[in-house]
Amino acid sequence: MHPSPDIGIWIGGLLTLGIFSFLYGDNPYYKFCEALFVGVSAGHWFITLFWTVFIPKLLGNIGIAIHTFRTEGFAAGMSDYMHWSYIFGGILGFLMILRLFPKIGWISRWSLAFVVGTTAGYYFINYLVSNGLMQIQKTILPLTSVGNIILVVGTFCGLIYFFFSKEHKGAFGGLARVGIWFLMITFGASFGYTVMSRMSLLIGRMDYIFGIWLGMIR
Amino acid sequence: MRVEKEKMVLDRGFSYLLLLAFFFLILFSTNSFAQDPSDTLAPESVTNVDAFDTPNDNGHSITVSWELSSDDGAGKNNVVVYEVYRSDSPEGKFEKRGMVPAGENTFEDQGAKEKDNANYLPSHKNFYYRVRAKSDGLFSDSEISLPAYAYGQWYHTGKTPVLVAVILFSVFAITFITLARKGKLFYIRPLAGIEAVDDAIGRATEMGKPILYIFGLGTADMIATIASFTILSRVAKKTAEYQTPILIPCYDSVVMAVAQETVRAAYLEAGRPDMYKEENIFFLTSMQFAYVAGVNGIMLREKPATNFYLGKFYAESLILAETGSIAGSIQISGTDEIAQIPFFVAATDYTLIGEELYAASAYLGREPVLLGTLKGQDWGKAVVIFSLILGALAASFGFQFFINLFRIQL
Amino acid sequence: MGFFERLLKIDRRIIFTFIAVAIALPLFFNVSMYVETTSEVVGIFSAVDSLSPGSKVLISFDYDPGSMPELQPMAESFLRHCFSRDLKVILMGLWPQGPLQANWALDVILNDPDIKVKNLKYGVDYVNLGYTAGNEVVIQRMGSDIHAAFPVDYYGTSLDEIPLMRGVRNFNNIDFVYNLSAGYPGTMEWVQFAADRFHARLGAGNTAVQAPLMYPYLGKKQLVGILGGMKGAAEYEVLAQRPARAVRYMFGQGISHAVVIFFVIIGNLAFFATRKKKES
Repeated sequence: MHPSPDIGIWIGGLLTLGIFSFLYGDNPYYKFCEALFVGVSAGHWFITLFWTVFIPKLLGNIGIAIHTFRTEGFAAGMSDYMHWSYIFGGILGFLMILRLFPKIGWISRWSLAFVVGTTAGYYFINYLVSNGLMQIQKTILPLTSVGNIILVVGTFCGLIYFFFSKEHKGAFGGLARVGIWFLMITFGASFGYTVMSRMSLLIGRMDYIFGIWLGMIR
Repeated sequence: MRVEKEKMVLDRGFSYLLLLAFFFLILFSTNSFAQDPSDTLAPESVTNVDAFDTPNDNGHSITVSWELSSDDGAGKNNVVVYEVYRSDSPEGKFEKRGMVPAGENTFEDQGAKEKDNANYLPSHKNFYYRVRAKSDGLFSDSEISLPAYAYGQWYHTGKTPVLVAVILFSVFAITFITLARKGKLFYIRPLAGIEAVDDAIGRATEMGKPILYIFGLGTADMIATIASFTILSRVAKKTAEYQTPILIPCYDSVVMAVAQETVRAAYLEAGRPDMYKEENIFFLTSMQFAYVAGVNGIMLREKPATNFYLGKFYAESLILAETGSIAGSIQISGTDEIAQIPFFVAATDYTLIGEELYAASAYLGREPVLLGTLKGQDWGKAVVIFSLILGALAASFGFQFFINLFRIQL
Repeated sequence: MGFFERLLKIDRRIIFTFIAVAIALPLFFNVSMYVETTSEVVGIFSAVDSLSPGSKVLISFDYDPGSMPELQPMAESFLRHCFSRDLKVILMGLWPQGPLQANWALDVILNDPDIKVKNLKYGVDYVNLGYTAGNEVVIQRMGSDIHAAFPVDYYGTSLDEIPLMRGVRNFNNIDFVYNLSAGYPGTMEWVQFAADRFHARLGAGNTAVQAPLMYPYLGKKQLVGILGGMKGAAEYEVLAQRPARAVRYMFGQGISHAVVIFFVIIGNLAFFATRKKKES
């Protein structure tokens, strides 16, 4: 056994055990690790966004625009719309901060409206093509093999299940029932995959504890 | 003038060809006994080189096609690659633009659209192409193509199915929204998870415990989160009436802002604006598992009577639902993140599967826009089902034309 | 209370202990399991294997340390494969943590004896473009101009000054795109934008959680292949004939799955047995 001399690894190991202790029950050790985790991650996130978005994207681009304005004159500066356009985003972001002031907080809805509206439009075509039309195209198959038949029948019944304007009764209800069976089988497969994923994460942690931290492996 | 010039060039080309033929004749006659003739003879040149604007793009690209050399796959069978050359005048310097392996007869000369790019290919300018059939070191050039220029198209014919689908679905949605606005009530089948909402809130009131409402990791622009806002509005109104506190720890600051807005409006509508507590709707952290750790702590300490998990969920779904079930809460869940539905099905009392979440928001909100859209979607699904059946039959009986209706080129 | 009732009310901590032992114990033995390869993994492997030396491969690291055990081995074996085939590698991330994951993987692979002798140079053989905010919009921007999406690399050098990036303007100049994804933005966005819109050749490594959701996209036009979770990572290592971490982990994975299946079976047996009793 050769425990790691690295203090960072020790902290990592002790915190891992702290979070694991939740499996036994809620306790102060877990609470400490949880609070630390929440605080550190919120801070980390803030700093990351500040340095990767706010500084380079907003200040950086507007800085370039101002620089062109000052060095190349008024006309060139004004026509540098690519860099100036970031001001628009900056203003929308500023409007978000206004919600700190209850009286004019409603203005922040404009920014939200912009985000919701643009993304909805942006996604519409992409989803329609990649998840809609392309998948329909892939499902139009000759009913000549068992696999193809299952695929077509499964898609058909699944769609029937997600019909909301008709009550699931009679033959329609029967098809919807087949649909939910297909869904449940899909969920089962998905469940299996996720179990694998979770086990992998645990293996990674165990390897950290016994291998990297405590040096008991190899 | 121009015709004469081209003719002259062809003549020159012809004389070169003669010279070349002569050269090879000598080469062939001296080496014919030593080597296999196919190794020492250049492949036949390709014919019918045709250059034309690449269809369905924004210009800056020309497609070249040709008929394969007679020595490609047959004859001497010694073609290895075809190289494509371009020039802006028939007698100018021809520049290599790319190559394709033997057996292929088209090449897309894709240029850049920025002027300062070395690869710039201007639109509306004539270019001439030549294709070189190459064997291991020997080659023969084709005749020069007629001029062609690149230009952008306004309409992408390969995307017609997309246009049709967009129009069809939009017409459905707009029609049914208009009908709903005019007061037509559409039937929506009951959803078990939603029927349970009132009971769940009642139970919390009896126990004197709060209600926990989780949006998951979605941002405010995701459809699942938007649907969840509508449901929250209804839930919050009920909690205001029952005077039960509602806790909403948030993962996203914008979601938190909208949630505060929603709950405030719901309390106002219920006539209890005094009951609204902004500090109950708070930001936790934007890191997945830190968020889970935080929410888990809240569940075990506050022991909420009812947990709602409605929105976009990822790996945290099972951990949350499992902890909630240990804490003994009634749990209602719903997400359109398919991978997470199994866990919600297994660990919560009611689950809204995928689109049921959107339906639930229409069902509860009773807003014409939502109801109309839902009805429109059902019609859209009917069209899909119909084309699926017809398509499968067409494919089984070999009616290719029907299948081609769905073919998209991007 | 009968045997089955007691079984149903088993303390979950007992199950936790079983799983912990099943996972930890195999780590101490140097046993590797037979890993069978599947066509989805072979699809990616052969796509990379058939690229000619000097071809450019883009790897997007769209995950954070939370998914490291699954995705890091994929990143490492893929990088090793690229470098051993003398491919040029462009690294980036749509997640803020991505470029850091990329550097960790680079650290491991560049110190691998087989790769070290190649004496690879930053900016010539590989480059880390860093992170850019904007999720799928970044991919769309890259489709028209990578230099606009990433004006500078991870270390702040202008892309125009990096030899490797000089001729790379958009997906037309990239021969293969490999996406390592743990959620959003991730493989779905790469399919929708890079593959569907810009016709990039795309392969993906996914956490096992989201892998099944990507199967509908498998096919020449959308996804040439997919690595699902630890198993996918192990398969790639086997194909590259360099068994590493993922293969080593597979033994524990197998044993723990057996334990889970065992509990699922007895849980169901108990459930049906007690239900019958209640009915009668």
